[in-house]
Amino acid sequence: MSDFYAHIALGVAKALSVEGLFFCFVGVTVGTIVGVLPGIGPLAAISLALPMTYYLDPTAALIMLAGIFYGAQYGGSTASILLNLPGTATAAITCLDGYPLAKQGKAPLALFVTAINSFVGSSFAIVLVMGFAPIIAELALEFSSAEYFSVMLLGLIAASTMTVGSPFKGLAMVVFGIALGLVGTDVNTGMFRFNFGILELADGFSLVALAMGLFGVAEIIANIGGEQGKPMAVGRIGFREMWPKRNEWKRIWAPTLRGSVIGSFVGALPGTGPGIASLMAYASEKRLSKTPEEFGKGALEGISAPEAANNASVQAAFIPTLSLGIPGDAVVAVLLGAMILHGITPGPNLINDQPEMFWGLIISFWIGNLMLLVLNIPLIGLWVRLLSIPYHLLYPAILVFICVGVYSSDNNVFDIFVVLGFGLVGYLMRIFDYPAMPVLLGFILGPLMEEHFRRALLLGRGDITTFIDRPISLAFLVVSAAFLAAAFLPGLRKRFAGN
Amino acid sequence: MKTRIDRRSLLGAALAIAAATGLSAGLASPAVAADGYPEKPVTLVVPFPPGGSTDLLARQIGEAISGPLGQPVVVENRGGAGGTVGANYVATSDPDGHTLLMGVTGSNAISAALRDDLPYDPVTDFDPVSIVIASPLVLVVNSESKFNSVADVIAYAKENPETFTHGTPGVGTSMHMTGELFGLETGTKLLHVPYKGSAQALQDLLGGQLDAMFGDILVTSEHIKTGRLRALGVTSTQRHYMLPDVPTIEEAGIDGYAAFSWQGIFAPAGTPPEVLGTLYAEIAKALESDKLQAFFKEKGFLIESMPPAESKEFIANEVKKWKGVVKAAGIGPK
Repeated sequence: MSDFYAHIALGVAKALSVEGLFFCFVGVTVGTIVGVLPGIGPLAAISLALPMTYYLDPTAALIMLAGIFYGAQYGGSTASILLNLPGTATAAITCLDGYPLAKQGKAPLALFVTAINSFVGSSFAIVLVMGFAPIIAELALEFSSAEYFSVMLLGLIAASTMTVGSPFKGLAMVVFGIALGLVGTDVNTGMFRFNFGILELADGFSLVALAMGLFGVAEIIANIGGEQGKPMAVGRIGFREMWPKRNEWKRIWAPTLRGSVIGSFVGALPGTGPGIASLMAYASEKRLSKTPEEFGKGALEGISAPEAANNASVQAAFIPTLSLGIPGDAVVAVLLGAMILHGITPGPNLINDQPEMFWGLIISFWIGNLMLLVLNIPLIGLWVRLLSIPYHLLYPAILVFICVGVYSSDNNVFDIFVVLGFGLVGYLMRIFDYPAMPVLLGFILGPLMEEHFRRALLLGRGDITTFIDRPISLAFLVVSAAFLAAAFLPGLRKRFAGN
Repeated sequence: MKTRIDRRSLLGAALAIAAATGLSAGLASPAVAADGYPEKPVTLVVPFPPGGSTDLLARQIGEAISGPLGQPVVVENRGGAGGTVGANYVATSDPDGHTLLMGVTGSNAISAALRDDLPYDPVTDFDPVSIVIASPLVLVVNSESKFNSVADVIAYAKENPETFTHGTPGVGTSMHMTGELFGLETGTKLLHVPYKGSAQALQDLLGGQLDAMFGDILVTSEHIKTGRLRALGVTSTQRHYMLPDVPTIEEAGIDGYAAFSWQGIFAPAGTPPEVLGTLYAEIAKALESDKLQAFFKEKGFLIESMPPAESKEFIANEVKKWKGVVKAAGIGPK
């Protein structure tokens, strides 16, 4: 036990050193900016920053890169709320309720609430990383493809009622998203499918390009010359406008906690990520809410849960990474590369072999999140004032950021055409009133479900009962069935009562 | 300490399946310095995102040769489609030595065997500068598994065809092909379970969902040390210095078995031989430096500098070898 405290002390010393604080600050500041700017996501930013860390002390390098990662989750919601343009692909869902709030003149409140949600979500997950990382990582190993499939099925069912409006249009868009997700390489045979001979499509469409096109570019096209072309009126932005009222606090605390739990769970499972976490958190809030009709019109729950979830997920992604050497998602995989580069082999021994690095990184999470909170709240005024920039100046700048962002993830011009193409598709969808969020849902979950379904069958040697023989998978299937029943039973009952 | 693998064994492995080409091994290359080369910064394309082993390698070598070349070597990541997007970019670049590729087994050999829709030919569209490193893999099982030796695996796989699962980062990766080669050479058929990346395969192996994996030595060595995984055999012809107690698969009873993944530097076809010579000379020198030797040793790589002509022959043999495996195993284009 004394070792334990000695190790924490080492980490505190490292994180609080001038070097540690400096790189933490640089990381979270860059992260915030990357998050706020539409298009440039954390993956692209970390990939660009990685080569610059070659000459840094490994712990300092990791502190900075991790800071970009979780800092971006704070910033991501800003543009979603103010401009209806997601700053990062994972913040797309925050557009649904964040932008209506801004239109009601509650932008300062919404931004303040998301900063608090983000901090709570992160803190919750950091406590888990500190206290229970090895235990949770062992639990995550119980999850194989059958369990992944069942969890995602639950997510898809829970989220299917996510948008307002015609359920058939929503369903059609889920299917459209799944169809888009089919483009790429068939995992089981390795053959390219639906790529029309275009090598750049062999890995499928990029999520960033799809999200930025459907949400970002489409929003810009829709506003050209329209009524919304005039900048939004900016009211007074003081603490009074930001601080939630008593009844508003009541609405946000439970969703924030539930979002933190869902985010931590999803984040600890390797191969998922903050996008899935925020989708699931939003869907479950809407399910649990007594007033689901308010969702999509500016419900505080609709921004609280997903924002807590994506931050929790990002921090929890360090659980399998640091305790097993298995990256939680694509961004953390780059961080693992940074460790290997510096001669540190990630694996089960990391916590014992590199206590200074492990605890230095964890303590830096606390410092970084505090910095982000302190940084973000005063920035709210600045961000809201951005709305007074005329759109004919703001939008071209944003288009440039989007193009730079999607290009920089793979240095590929093709992705710019993809984002512009999806911008047009998204614009047409708006004209005919088709929701964009279900497309993203289908695009993210569809291919993962296919991959895990087929792999579960391979691992089960072709036996489909593998999904019900495995207790964890069975449990998720039962909950999925209950969700379906809850959705259909009231309708059925009404019909019988009517007879 | 140098960690050089036996050149003959690497070439021998390439020839194991494919018929011998009849060409004699190319000897020393003409190291005549090219006039005026390089006249501008050299771009070294890594066909993967930053942070992977190919990226690390490219940056180390790029840095080491920038000084002697007198021009910066800029690493550019162009990921996608298992390295083929970046490879295609270099294949269609100007053959003047200013755009190079850090190619790998997948992008520059296996993909040609696996796909008939590849826009480039790894043999005719590139002039290799040098193969740089080779990495053997290690056959690992969960330590709670009943398999204690390669012989156990073969016996089980013979009795139960297409039942013994091995996880890989995808179809056509060197881990996959190593497994197929294992099956062909032992007269068995393993059940291939492809993942998107090796991390999730490792997760399932640690969780006891998978029977085995032909894994990366550096990454699996941590789990072997802590006793979570059991190493049954390495795929090289000699034991690996990171796992001195683990027999080679050849020692364990499969005669002539050897499989490596490798990485090398490639120029577009038609690059002047003097330019290739200059580059090769600098790369070979850099690989001998203490700094790179130490770096490679720490990562578990085996250094393998190979002159352009020899590299070209090596690639031709690799393509032929993997085409043979793909055909015999019944994967790829039907």
